[in-house]
Amino acid sequence: MKTTIRQSIRTGVTFGIVHIFFILIAFNSMIAVMLAKISGIKNPGEIPEAKFYIAYTLLMGLWVGIAALNKKKSLSFGTKILSSFSTGLTVAVLAGLLDVILSVILVKKVFIRDFLSVLSFDFIKATLLGMTPVNGTLATMAFILIGALAGSCLVILNNLKAVQAFWKTLGTWTKNIIGKIQYASRGKYHLIWQLVGIVIVGFIAVFLPTKWGSYWNYVFGMVGLYVILGLGLNIIVGLSGQLVLGYIAFFAIGAYTMALLNAPEPHHLLWGFWPALVLGIILSALSGLLLGLPIMRLRGDYLAIVTLGFGEIIRILLKSDVLTSFTGGPRGIQNIQGPMLFGRPFNSEVDFVYLIIAGVILASFVYNRLQQSRTGRAWLAIREDETVARATGVDTIKYKLLALAIGAAFAGLAGAIYASRNQFTGPDEHALMASINVLSLIIVGGMGNIPGTILGAFTLKGLPEILREFANYRLLAFGALLVVMMLSRPDGLIPSSRPKYELPKETAPDVEKKEASHGK
Amino acid sequence: MNDPSPHPLDPAGDKNLNAEPASNKKPKLKRSRLIKLLRPALGVVVLLYILFRLYQVLIVQHEYGADTWTRLLISGLIIGGVYALIAIGYTLVYGILFMINFAHGEVMMFGAYAALYSFWAFKLIKMPGDINFLNAYPVIAIILAFIIGMSVSATLGYFLEKIAYRPLRKAPRLVPLISAIGASIFLQNAAMLLFSPQMRDVSNPDILRRGAGWTISVSGSNVILPYTGVFTFVLSVILLIMLYMIVQRSKLGRAMRAVALDKKTAALMGVDVDSTISRTFIISGALAGAAGVMWGLHNGLVYYFVGFIPGIKAFTAAVLGGIGNLPGAMVGGMLLGIVESMGPAALGINFQLKDVLSFVILIIVLTFRPSGLLGEVLSEEKV
Repeated sequence: MKTTIRQSIRTGVTFGIVHIFFILIAFNSMIAVMLAKISGIKNPGEIPEAKFYIAYTLLMGLWVGIAALNKKKSLSFGTKILSSFSTGLTVAVLAGLLDVILSVILVKKVFIRDFLSVLSFDFIKATLLGMTPVNGTLATMAFILIGALAGSCLVILNNLKAVQAFWKTLGTWTKNIIGKIQYASRGKYHLIWQLVGIVIVGFIAVFLPTKWGSYWNYVFGMVGLYVILGLGLNIIVGLSGQLVLGYIAFFAIGAYTMALLNAPEPHHLLWGFWPALVLGIILSALSGLLLGLPIMRLRGDYLAIVTLGFGEIIRILLKSDVLTSFTGGPRGIQNIQGPMLFGRPFNSEVDFVYLIIAGVILASFVYNRLQQSRTGRAWLAIREDETVARATGVDTIKYKLLALAIGAAFAGLAGAIYASRNQFTGPDEHALMASINVLSLIIVGGMGNIPGTILGAFTLKGLPEILREFANYRLLAFGALLVVMMLSRPDGLIPSSRPKYELPKETAPDVEKKEASHGK
Repeated sequence: MNDPSPHPLDPAGDKNLNAEPASNKKPKLKRSRLIKLLRPALGVVVLLYILFRLYQVLIVQHEYGADTWTRLLISGLIIGGVYALIAIGYTLVYGILFMINFAHGEVMMFGAYAALYSFWAFKLIKMPGDINFLNAYPVIAIILAFIIGMSVSATLGYFLEKIAYRPLRKAPRLVPLISAIGASIFLQNAAMLLFSPQMRDVSNPDILRRGAGWTISVSGSNVILPYTGVFTFVLSVILLIMLYMIVQRSKLGRAMRAVALDKKTAALMGVDVDSTISRTFIISGALAGAAGVMWGLHNGLVYYFVGFIPGIKAFTAAVLGGIGNLPGAMVGGMLLGIVESMGPAALGINFQLKDVLSFVILIIVLTFRPSGLLGEVLSEEKV
């Protein structure tokens, strides 16, 4: 009993801090604006009516109540209510304290916006639910408490046997349906099902780009480019196990090759898209080799920081005054000419989406073949244990260099298409954050496999676009999501099935055979 | 992989190799010899180039006088001290957990913000005689600002470890790294939303005004030795020595070294591994906080992105000195600071390229000493 209450109070303190943090970053305003929009008000402005703030406070309380009973199934009904009540009360007290401070600021007219930028007087009034300070504080506390109790009631209702049975039935049904689909796709009709799948995907790929409008085509193209980048980095990190943090440098080399060869400024070369694409890929691969040669002895984090440094070197060089006459300096390169295919110029986003889809298919094909080849198995051996791999006769330096070069070539492909599509490239597009984004996407998706990479690209590049509504809160949510994701699914959304083959139950030749059969 | 090379432990195979250099062996030997030759050749080329540029700049062109060099050296030492303090945080955490604490720069940023706000608040406190607290008791104000900044950062470091890293201690190596990156992005944006994206000036007390300092005369012209700079440098050296004493002499330091060597054995010997790791994060956070306060005092500008570049630089410094090695981080930080401020002038290249120079130095050092300047050769399991 005592420990339960102590735990509840501790949860309450955590949520109280979260509540204060949300108020100080004006998260309540954002939710209130969203609620106002949902309820049909066209232009709620930055600070909508007080009733939406009341709704936010209730929702916050609801969340607290639900979280208070998390992982506490075995308690009795009374203890549950008591526990959620004490959590809610703690949060309410903390919220009340904040409101008292806010009230003082409001009454004394302290101009605090220099310190904490969101705390304008209008915002404080709205946070106090549009009432007088005393009433507002008490009302906030009351609403949080009511919300918490309602939340705990919801949890208790959800835990009732009848409701649980309902969820269970629903779960079984979904499982059955998925199982049937899986069975169908594996059974004797699997070829037909695969064909149907290909036709559906092909249909989406062919027809949707013409219907979507340019914004969604832009987003879709971006996701596609990041799939290519992710596959390339997967070869380096996922297959051969070398942590590379400056991957975007290769992307930049591809993009700048395309830009320099196809823009009127600064060189007026106008080679056309396709030769520049090939040259961009080759140059990226070569730079991968050149970077790899001196540092192949490094492992782990040393390699990470050196490649990070390489990425920064490329970016700073592109940006500096030294190379302005050659690469356009900080302003970048504009008016890059688009590709021509069979005499027809690519002039809309739709054409580029097709080009990117073709690129993704090519990259996935190459990736798949490489993964299942002798080279791919050499990479896996290096990833698992470099010393053992060398002892068994794998030329580790050769294969590591190869991985770096091929991964870089993928990035060169993506970069060339990217520059051509945007008709612009500049040094700041190739900052460290972009490398980190690619690395995050392959880890979030699940390292070392194609579906994971695609899902990761959608999550990390597509989701922020969908979350545009959240504006400033987008990156905050992204950061928090990365942490939560790693805590809950450290192997990524779609974990690789490779480790199965590493169990030391079988003798070595058997493992070989299994892997070979996996390739078929 | 193609040639059936003899097992390294197989004596017959060994003899085979000595007796008749088989035709399929030859190209392999040749290539390895080539790679072995490549590195010294590269080293000689780099060295010759550096000597040539130094000769050009120092003797032929004679662009800068001794006064300029002194100025550059001073600024290099100051920034080097800050880098060393942050680098210690990276190295401590890496030594124990073998993970890059990517959010360490953000921990420093919160320290800088704490300094900004505490100085601001001190300035608002009116004392009798038309003077504010900040200028009435400047020493107390500075000490208080350091205490506030260090405790804010230490608390942040503690919770960072508890929330984002502890549950992942047994996960594959890349997972905590991504978690750290996520925490870094989160903290940056939280600071932006809380404190607004605009750059702010720290209001120093009058005795530590920015720009003011002792004037010394070097070869006829005056060089300013800024008060803030001397303060920063001296304090960072003191903090580094204190930390070294803690790690080498105290019970906590012994526990930290034991955990760094082997967590399981340390636990069997009665060391509380979890609390030792927590304390490591607290110490490294406090040092980063001190670095943040110093940054605020010396550079003045504080904004939400302020921790990023020093964080990356300090990590570079830690690797340069040999990550996991305390004196290495100090040497690496100082070296990086000096190279950054004096290097471009000495080699006669554009000052925009100072970061390029520091990363090139890193690549060169790691090419010849793969575990950093002072780093010991880590065992396989650690790398």
